[in-house]
Amino acid sequence: MSQTAVVQIFKALGDPVRLQIVQRLSNGVPLCMGELSKDLGISRQGARKQIQALVSANVVQLHPAGREVKVQLDTAALAQGRNFIAKLEAQWDQRLQALKQLVEQ
Amino acid sequence: MQNIIQRELSINASAERIYNAIATAEQVVKWFPEAVTGEYRAGGQAVLSFGELGQSSIYIEAAQPYRYFAYRWVPGSNHFVGDVRAVPNTLVEFRIEELSGGGCKVSLTETGFADLPTDIAEASFGQNSRGWDFMLQRLQQHFSMETK
Repeated sequence: MSQTAVVQIFKALGDPVRLQIVQRLSNGVPLCMGELSKDLGISRQGARKQIQALVSANVVQLHPAGREVKVQLDTAALAQGRNFIAKLEAQWDQRLQALKQLVEQ
Repeated sequence: MQNIIQRELSINASAERIYNAIATAEQVVKWFPEAVTGEYRAGGQAVLSFGELGQSSIYIEAAQPYRYFAYRWVPGSNHFVGDVRAVPNTLVEFRIEELSGGGCKVSLTETGFADLPTDIAEASFGQNSRGWDFMLQRLQQHFSMETK
């Protein structure tokens, strides 16, 4: 996955409604578009748009199932995002250890 | 997924000593950048130099002795130099809390990753990953020396 793709994931998750959608899918079970769009505090059309934004960022995948469309989380994409944060965390840990050593001398 | 970096550690030193190590140009170079130029104070703009890894401009958002220090930058990047407030940036915050048993808890947060535009962040990832490799290598060396 390219670096641009990682950035797209972060941008896609930088919205409370989209984050809520991702949370509903976080146990790995695919949900119907209709189910997923309920109680988000926005119109079905608005929800569809947000789900489409997640599709564009490869955070979720759509699978046609009969007359419905199932939405599933792309865990590999999310792992990329986590990996990015993990690297930055490691960098800060290293700096903070250096700070600790300095002031505890 | 998180859009925030949050680290915490306990340090066996006074809040004043820790704060000065973070918030003074004379001491911050002993653990973080190799050099600092510009105005390293609240409301000031400074440039952190990381040797061959490059330079990063920062804008110091707040400096409250001996408990809080915060600055904005473009994380890691091919080290953005210029007015960081004019471009999407992340906020780095240090908080120092005295512990009842002595020493302090130091918390670090970095926020704002979702707001980075693709082009800047893309450039910063590329540069950054070399920086990370360098840092991780040093860290590994440090640990392998300790276990010998």
